[in-house]
Amino acid sequence: MTLAVHEAAAKAEFRPMLEVEMDIGVFVSNWTHCDRISSYLARMVSHNRTDSLLYSNLFSSALNELLETVFRSHAGEGRFRCHVSRAGSVDRVELTIPADDDRAAFYVETVRELHRPTVSDRYRKALFAQGPLDLRIGLYELAVDYGAVFSVEQPDSATVRLTADLALEDSEQ
Amino acid sequence: MAKPSQSSFVVKYDDNNQEFSIIGSMRPQDVSELEACTKLLETSLAGVRGTFYVNVKRLVRLNNIAFHVLAGSLVRACSERPDLRVAVITSSVVGWSTRKFGALNKVNPNIVVEEYDSEFYPGQSFLEEGEFIPILRTQTKMTWRHERNILPRHGMREGLTIADICCGIGDFAVLVYKEFKPARLVALDHSRSSLGYARKVAADFGIQGIEYIYGDAAEMLLEDEQFDFVTCRHALQIFNKPDLILKELFRICKPGGRVYVTNEKISQCLGEPRGESIQWTYDELSKLFAHFDMDLEFGPKSRKFMVEAGFDDVRMESFMVTNLDGDPQDFADIVKSWEELFAGGMSQQRGDSAEFVEKFRRGFQDHLFAALHPKGYAGWPVWVASGRKPA
Repeated sequence: MTLAVHEAAAKAEFRPMLEVEMDIGVFVSNWTHCDRISSYLARMVSHNRTDSLLYSNLFSSALNELLETVFRSHAGEGRFRCHVSRAGSVDRVELTIPADDDRAAFYVETVRELHRPTVSDRYRKALFAQGPLDLRIGLYELAVDYGAVFSVEQPDSATVRLTADLALEDSEQ
Repeated sequence: MAKPSQSSFVVKYDDNNQEFSIIGSMRPQDVSELEACTKLLETSLAGVRGTFYVNVKRLVRLNNIAFHVLAGSLVRACSERPDLRVAVITSSVVGWSTRKFGALNKVNPNIVVEEYDSEFYPGQSFLEEGEFIPILRTQTKMTWRHERNILPRHGMREGLTIADICCGIGDFAVLVYKEFKPARLVALDHSRSSLGYARKVAADFGIQGIEYIYGDAAEMLLEDEQFDFVTCRHALQIFNKPDLILKELFRICKPGGRVYVTNEKISQCLGEPRGESIQWTYDELSKLFAHFDMDLEFGPKSRKFMVEAGFDDVRMESFMVTNLDGDPQDFADIVKSWEELFAGGMSQQRGDSAEFVEKFRRGFQDHLFAALHPKGYAGWPVWVASGRKPA
């Protein structure tokens, strides 16, 4: 079943740039993978943006939150894939995540929330809530502060594909 | 228990200024990794009166786990103590931090976010006005005639990784790119308008290999030891703390690489005929810049600053841009623009009398006269210094 929650730009317009793929067990074996992958990919994709350093900082911050979300929210075994493609000013991050029904529902429901007008309030509440951090906070932040446009699909019963379109040169203005 | 992460940050508290600083990357897996930071923050908060400053200008990365912890401490402190004010100092260079920390103000209005930017270099605004751009280009054209031959003596060659810090309108970077074909060329400045112009010029010339980036030369986000050759031209002289800039140039330079700076000693501008009037005006120009915390006499001091910054093999030389370099009108155009900018703008801002401004202008006009005189000679000296970062 595919659940399209947003009309993104046509897939054909996006040119692949970089991809990182590994077993999900390898990915979650070390927290620093989030930082290292986000920093490396950010540097690689930013060099030909208008301000490469600023773009790299923003991209790294956004991607790190996505990766930290995956780190904490996945289920089962399988391959984890982070694919980055570009169409003009938009960079698309596609995360293929091993997920059971519960984890898939988490992503599907969160992406639904991201398209509701209440997402800003939810983000603020999550930022200042007492107790453990809300697992959805990184996705909220990207939608609110970075203007990311999300979609999610389930290619099969054991996988979720989360897509975030980032137009960071616009969001920094 | 969480495994130790690679969060690499430093926290400091300056009691004198009530300033809590976080520098680096803060992406913990678990709040327990921030215990020492949280303890220092809360201890610091407990002892302050009035305004507590949180300096995150060089906090490059921060995840939500860390933000949640920091925000919790700050909001709690302000809720418990209505007399407490917290000022979070962010940097526009980082990109995300002003927006992120801005959320604190919505929760407690006693927490304000102040974005650090070019206001910290008030004098330089004179030099970043759009109308000054054509003259900057002419200046670079005239100094380049000398520097293209000087640069190789200071280690410049093809294929290097180069940073041009305080690149201004980026024309020097374009010339370096064409002449020395660097492997990578990053050009940084803190004037968005200058960078916009630089990108347009590069695009007009079909040059795509220069990375123009926005940044503060005193607190760059460029990583350590990235560049073989770092240039910083006519910039140390207009910062009130040139040692801070040199420290940053040293930091981003690879061991064995070189840092190249140029500066003026403006009081040694000269010309004949009418040398006396010219001399008086440039002496006064030096004092005028000093009034705005800029040292246009910096040139010969470069060696001392470079040695004190830790460089070895310091090489130094000077050259004189003159009216005999190409078209004398180019030299005259530069002097004319200096008259308008310095006698017209800066001198008036200092509150100088009409009599002073008239005499001040006359020296520029006499310099221009000397430049265009068929038997005249007019000069503008520039000092070059470079140093090697010890391997």
